[in-house]
Amino acid sequence: MITRRVQFEVMGRLVGPALMELDAYKTQRKRRKRTPKPGPFGPGLKSVDELKKIMTMIYLQGRYADGAVPVAWVTSGFPSEFLRMLGYYIIYPENHAALCGARHMTPKISEAAENQGYSMDLCSYARTDIGNVLKNNTPVGRLPKPDLIACCTNICQTVLYWYRALAAHLEVPLVLVDTPFMFGDNKEHHVQYVAEQLEECIATAEKVAGRKMDKSRMGHMMEMALQGSDLWGQCLEIARAKPSPWTGFDTFFHIAPIVSIRGTETCNRYYRGLKAELEQRVAQGVGGIKDERHRLLWDNLPIWFDIRNLATMFAERGFNFVCATYSNAWAEAGRLISPEDPILSAAKAYIYVYLNRDLNNRLRTMKELAGDYGVDGAVLHSDRSCKPYSVGQIDVKRRFAEDLGLKALVLEADHNDQRLYAREQAETRLHAFMESFGE
Amino acid sequence: MRRAYLTREKEAHGRTVMAVLPIAYPKEILTAMNILAVEVWGPPGLPASEEASRIQAYVCPVVRNAMAFLAPGVPGIDGVLFPHTCDSIQGLATVLPDLAGFPLPVANFVHPKGERRKSNETYLKQEFADLAAQLARITGKPLDPEALKGAIALHREIDRLRTSLMARRAFSPLPDREFWGVLRLGEYLWPEDYLGKLKELESGLASQAVQTGVPVMVTGIVPEPMGIYEAINAAGAFVAACDYAAIGRRVADPSAGTAPDPFDALVSRYFALPPCPTRTSLMGPRMDYLERLYAANRCRGLIVHTVKFCEPELFDLPHIRQRFARINAPVLTMEGELEPVLSGQATTRIEAFVEMTTSKRSNP
Amino acid sequence: MSKPAAAALGIDIGSTTCKAVAIDARGTVILRMLEPTDPLIAPQAARMIQALRAQAGDVTLPLGATGYGRRHVEDARVITEITCHARGAYHHLGRAGVLVDIGGQDTKVIFIGADGTVEDFHMNDKCAAGTGRFLEVILNRLKVPLADVGLKVARAREAVAVSSMCTVFAESEVVSLVAQGVAVEDIVKGLLQSLASRVAGLIGRIPPGAGISMSGGVALNPAMVEALAKKTGMAVTVMPDPQYLGALGAALSVLPGSR
Repeated sequence: MITRRVQFEVMGRLVGPALMELDAYKTQRKRRKRTPKPGPFGPGLKSVDELKKIMTMIYLQGRYADGAVPVAWVTSGFPSEFLRMLGYYIIYPENHAALCGARHMTPKISEAAENQGYSMDLCSYARTDIGNVLKNNTPVGRLPKPDLIACCTNICQTVLYWYRALAAHLEVPLVLVDTPFMFGDNKEHHVQYVAEQLEECIATAEKVAGRKMDKSRMGHMMEMALQGSDLWGQCLEIARAKPSPWTGFDTFFHIAPIVSIRGTETCNRYYRGLKAELEQRVAQGVGGIKDERHRLLWDNLPIWFDIRNLATMFAERGFNFVCATYSNAWAEAGRLISPEDPILSAAKAYIYVYLNRDLNNRLRTMKELAGDYGVDGAVLHSDRSCKPYSVGQIDVKRRFAEDLGLKALVLEADHNDQRLYAREQAETRLHAFMESFGE
Repeated sequence: MRRAYLTREKEAHGRTVMAVLPIAYPKEILTAMNILAVEVWGPPGLPASEEASRIQAYVCPVVRNAMAFLAPGVPGIDGVLFPHTCDSIQGLATVLPDLAGFPLPVANFVHPKGERRKSNETYLKQEFADLAAQLARITGKPLDPEALKGAIALHREIDRLRTSLMARRAFSPLPDREFWGVLRLGEYLWPEDYLGKLKELESGLASQAVQTGVPVMVTGIVPEPMGIYEAINAAGAFVAACDYAAIGRRVADPSAGTAPDPFDALVSRYFALPPCPTRTSLMGPRMDYLERLYAANRCRGLIVHTVKFCEPELFDLPHIRQRFARINAPVLTMEGELEPVLSGQATTRIEAFVEMTTSKRSNP
Repeated sequence: MSKPAAAALGIDIGSTTCKAVAIDARGTVILRMLEPTDPLIAPQAARMIQALRAQAGDVTLPLGATGYGRRHVEDARVITEITCHARGAYHHLGRAGVLVDIGGQDTKVIFIGADGTVEDFHMNDKCAAGTGRFLEVILNRLKVPLADVGLKVARAREAVAVSSMCTVFAESEVVSLVAQGVAVEDIVKGLLQSLASRVAGLIGRIPPGAGISMSGGVALNPAMVEALAKKTGMAVTVMPDPQYLGALGAALSVLPGSR
């Protein structure tokens, strides 16, 4: 245990950062040697190097976490701040699955799950995750075994079915924060319920970690989370500039810190840096794409296995996604966090997560985004794996288009499994959509 | 036939009629408020209207068919109740009133998820009260706690009788379609009428087992098409144990619900329901329950009859297979789409399965 | 040399082809017939059975019927093709095993126990992908006759994967690949791997000690057999007379003295 702890700390403080520096140096040398290819994008964001370091470190140090510190696997919407306060090393299976999806590895990894009897109709994140648990196949080496898995239903009910299956495979306790869906406004007994569950979850996490939480530090943790969420929101808002200094596809990658290390100084420092870089680009009139002629909104999850291709296809024709409901989700709910009242405000914030709200509410948010960011149209990714995000899109698209007088397209795909994407048919639709904007 | 019954109920008894989506909801509250629940399990068959196209094709047919059925308006119903069962029903519950221009009032029962604990007991009690308030806005009259006590007693009686009937299914000479068909009458009959039908069914029981086929257990969402029962019987088996969400999985342990405060009683009854992935969070207890139910009814095979795209059922499937392989029990999986008629392929599978059970020696 | 006496008849009415056999008392196939299935099943079945009875010289032979059209056969014992394929396979193997039957319109994986009974079965009968139809459609689009598949695969440099799960979309994907200049040989190799992958997924976990055998029309394609062997990492044998396995099992089921 002690040796493991030493390994973990050494990896985290010395070896890991040294490896990251070496890697960054090599990347920069390669970049300097390469002649820049002509393409439709503006110059790449420099912050990406720091982002890569941060994210790689999480997985690198993670390999040594189990046995050194308590480890938790959590859903992206879970109030992880409380676990972080107890010293848990936190892994996000969704983030890990997205990483696998981006490397086109989902079909191979999911095979182990499918052979066990998990239907291909199930969420491709879940299949990637369970597939990797059944047969270690991850591009990040290995994930640390969790001591506890934590699930919050604010992003969907499916995470509960997924995590209950996971708990059975891993034989670890499952901590649940059940956030009742918001049909209309927040109801008081719903908020109370979530607040009580937070207390229950803290108690379980304390037992598993073998230590008590210093509740006097809760306010500070919430303050950090609030700052991070706020900074992320500010970075997104810079895209209101014309041209936007970055693309919606960029935001899908830069969102990683607010999801995975929310509440840490590393996260907040990263966004301060990113914000400064974006502001500088605006001052210099540098766009995320070279020739921004049309601005679009992206709804639903990214199509992880095809981002580069899609981004290029749109950029070549002058289309930039300047806002995305997905990226925006981690900025808006955070605003409800109040360091003075950590538990209750966290309950309100986590119930208020985008996907936990009814369609009237979400359509209103979409229309606000469209107005604030000056968009000409929207692409709604009808994600086969994500029912809470996708059910209703057909009507949402119609209302969005009618109410705002804008063009909108529903695109059938999947966020993580390229086998479920009819590429030819999809690209034809996208081209036709872009052509409909005229010249 | 059903339409005539509903009309009579409205006219003769002044009932409010509400369409209710699957799965779990406090029927006791509706009964106490003179609300007749008409459950919408689909309805089965091809979507009733073009409105199904509001929902993508990769969403379960229960939701697509329900959209098709409800959106154009259903004469004779006064409102819709949506339990918060899963992501797809959640979606339907907001698309219909918010974006599809549905004119009737809707109510939501956002039941808790996860194993019983202090937080969700407290929450559930308040959610029941909130639901009663939502329903009162539809009926125009508040819930009377005394009426609720009476309703709880009635529904406990119904569950007592259902439990007893299911335990003695083999004693009924009726084929599966008729036997389980009576149990399904609760999906739209006024509870007192339903109780009458259950008593009739009970009076037809023999004093010992009369079913001679291979006893099998079925788990899944809903027995549609009902022809599945005929296929099972024709192949030489009968359904001795039921874990369909529409039937067996909603029969609460009749010993629960004795608390003097009716809302406490409702909370007990909710947590006395058989485990279901749409309500509970631990895999082990559900597998244990299925294994016990299987053994108690001396079953020789398990049929898992899922509805296509049903996440809660599909995540549990590998675990069901694993548990039943451990006890050497044959398992057949069938995926339905609420099709109007059972396909030839499905019938073949059932036949092959029963052929398999008759030759395989299973050790429960 | 005296002709062995026929002891039983079996007919397997599939959705694409209709197969009938006569077997002797030891279960050896002594007569066989195969025709494309006629839309009017009953008269076709009757004609084939009558022809076999005449050739065997015995009109009283017991008859087992299986396959999609089994209920249209008069005076026959009706058994599902799953059980029949298992019986036929066990007759050849004499031990436990996994039988993979890739037919024109469905694919069956049958887990046969040490005593010849069906322990479990998995079927893909809702979707063309993962069946013989998938190969047929794509090879047709590529203008590659079935007989040339082995040759093409041998000449392939690498397998180019088709990612679509759906036969219809896979077809357009393949057209796109060819247009991009990808070699037909590489696509064919990728196709077989794709089909093998889907079949392996249907098999799931292989019981320890069990071997894999193939039956059905696709089993006649050695390149496909090899692709499945590579994918599962196990030796794959082909049943003798793979297309007649169901009919054999049906006949074995009515052999006097059998269950």
